[in-house]
Amino acid sequence: MASQTKAEILARHDANAALKTPLPGQITRHAKDLGADGVFSPLDERIIAAASEALEAGQTHYVDVPGIEPLREAIADYLNTSFSAPCQSGNIIVTAGLQESRFLTIQKIGENFDSIGIPAVAHPGLQKALGVRARNVVSLAVDPHRGYLPALDAIADAVAGGCRLLYLESPSRLSGAAYTSDEVAAIGQLLGESGASAIWDQGLAPWVEGGCRSLASTEESPAQVTAIGEAFPGMGLASWFIGYIAAPDDQIPAMQSQKQIMAICTSTAAQYAALEASSLFPAAHPPRLAQLKRLKSYIAESARDLNLDAIAGDALNIIALQASGGAAAKLRAAGFDCADGADFGAPAVIRLNVNTTTAEALQALR
Amino acid sequence: MSKKKAQGTNLLYQLIGEARSYDDVIIMGRGDPDFDTPAHIVAAAKNAMVNHHADYTPPEGLLALREAIAERVKRVNNIDVDPVTEVVVTNGGQEALFLMVLAVLSPGDEMIVPEPNYNTYADSLAFAGGVKVEVQTYAETDFRADPADVAAAITDRSRALLLVSPNNPAASVISPPDMQAMLDIAISKDLIILADDIYDLFVYDDFEHVSPASLPGGKERTLTLNALSKAYSMTGWRLGWIVGPADMMARVKELKAAISGGASVISQHAGIAALTGPQDAVEMMAEAYRRRRRLVLDALDAMGMKYGLPQGGQFVFADIGFTGMDSGEVAQRILTEQHVLAYPGSAFSKDRKDYLRMTFLQPEDQLIEGLERMKVAMLNMMAER
Repeated sequence: MASQTKAEILARHDANAALKTPLPGQITRHAKDLGADGVFSPLDERIIAAASEALEAGQTHYVDVPGIEPLREAIADYLNTSFSAPCQSGNIIVTAGLQESRFLTIQKIGENFDSIGIPAVAHPGLQKALGVRARNVVSLAVDPHRGYLPALDAIADAVAGGCRLLYLESPSRLSGAAYTSDEVAAIGQLLGESGASAIWDQGLAPWVEGGCRSLASTEESPAQVTAIGEAFPGMGLASWFIGYIAAPDDQIPAMQSQKQIMAICTSTAAQYAALEASSLFPAAHPPRLAQLKRLKSYIAESARDLNLDAIAGDALNIIALQASGGAAAKLRAAGFDCADGADFGAPAVIRLNVNTTTAEALQALR
Repeated sequence: MSKKKAQGTNLLYQLIGEARSYDDVIIMGRGDPDFDTPAHIVAAAKNAMVNHHADYTPPEGLLALREAIAERVKRVNNIDVDPVTEVVVTNGGQEALFLMVLAVLSPGDEMIVPEPNYNTYADSLAFAGGVKVEVQTYAETDFRADPADVAAAITDRSRALLLVSPNNPAASVISPPDMQAMLDIAISKDLIILADDIYDLFVYDDFEHVSPASLPGGKERTLTLNALSKAYSMTGWRLGWIVGPADMMARVKELKAAISGGASVISQHAGIAALTGPQDAVEMMAEAYRRRRRLVLDALDAMGMKYGLPQGGQFVFADIGFTGMDSGEVAQRILTEQHVLAYPGSAFSKDRKDYLRMTFLQPEDQLIEGLERMKVAMLNMMAER
């Protein structure tokens, strides 16, 4: 006998478009997979040695819910150094990757607010996280000429309309465009004046040459911003899934409690690997960034030669292109994968990972 | 300013935090085996770091691991699943639990829950906006969940039935006839079964574990969770799974992608080694738990304490009503005065304020010492009455 209960559950599921939002690949699957926004890198032998040593020494048990203390300290140091974000280890929760950071912040910080303002164009993981438990959403209009970042006016309008929690990406997960220092200061001032809070996805910031300003560093609203991102990207740990949340003191307990309900803690092997990566990152990252800069420059030049319209973006690990409908399908037909802007809310855009096959992929779009 | 009293999961973590501050603490609270992960699994992880660190893993997990899980649930639980569409790998049993609840319950929906039960189910249910409908069990009948009581608790808002066997914290095992009766009720009342099999390899004496999904008509309405944490001493790796019918698992997969994406690839390769490699260590640990269980029960008998016979699991749920104190207070005093961590029954159920959950996941000399210290603390409490 067919189950009516199951039929009802599946009908609700079918109606939940947000939960079913397709996600671009989190990890590069093969040389022609240009869909992920991470950077494929070999794993340093010192990371392997450190993680193995920890496991062999018996670090195979539960650890503290928010993460092992040395890693939390390392992430706090990194945020202080790279983003002038004033945080201590107690402000850090180590997560099982960026999507868990998104989910925990949106769902738990969101509980304190009537609505959440989200960019009309953003990483589809945001919609997916909202699909688990619906929240009132205020859509922030984006400016296509500013890399699809929400315009400051749109942010101001949302706040003026009573929206007191914003979710913002800088750099944009679609275009790689980042808010300027002045823009970040302006957003911070707006938050400070209105008492609004923000969740700030700065996961792509390490891929911006010279860095980019974090909202968590603004003097106007230091206590109202929760920053999220991948921990030490580009160190070969993409498929180990390790991310962070850096939150004000009063936001930590609710998210920590939810983390223990959801997962107890993050994989110990991944945490010890990330800890070693933290010490190697300062030396390993600059040459990687320099290499990406050369590659992206070459790809952008190729795009120009092919009359393809590249969107200006600061992050060196991705390049977005204005593309007519069907561009993603053309790439797939040529054996390449990409991130489809339609899943981000921008149907006329595709995003490609910057690597050695990207220029070749552009040929498929001629 | 008065400090808000912690409850449920938060109370347990508060006690864990205090326990860490004592150098001589004996842990008889947390369900974390004292054995380290077997060496061949650690070696497989090391090999994976060298050769597979960048493997692509979809949110539902590596196919090789899902195939190993499918083989395991067939061999151990007699559940047939398609590894492609009917298995989702999770960040431990805890995430599996959370996902199962989210997959089935919507705001206002009721879940029938034999009590006492693992506190995180209530937390997950609260997140989903569901309602817990408790069915009481009793120490006198070794915390058996009576199918008649379950049937009586069902309302027109009931959508799911939670069956944790062996139960945590009461360690009761649902007998095959009772499990059949539970499934019959689920079918006749059209409930989805959430089955938690995480202790399925830890069943004692002549008791027998049966998975509801293995019974005729069970699979299509049952989501079953399990994990490597308990059987393989892999708590820190965060690796578990859910199996169930393909239509429901498609929803579980979307939820998994929404909550956290894939599980760490190194943990997944370690999981493949655990499930497909030698099983000697699992049997060695299971034998140790059998010995320790006997030791703890003998000690409790010698102390004159009552308990529901642990038919499975890795713990004893013991009656401390003779102290005349709330279990939260008893657990706190045992910890503070004698540096022994045991979990208060009140963290698992509001009606179990006169019970403590004691795990036997420590070496035998530690267990003896821990029980001796508990006895001293409880005698002190009684002397104060």
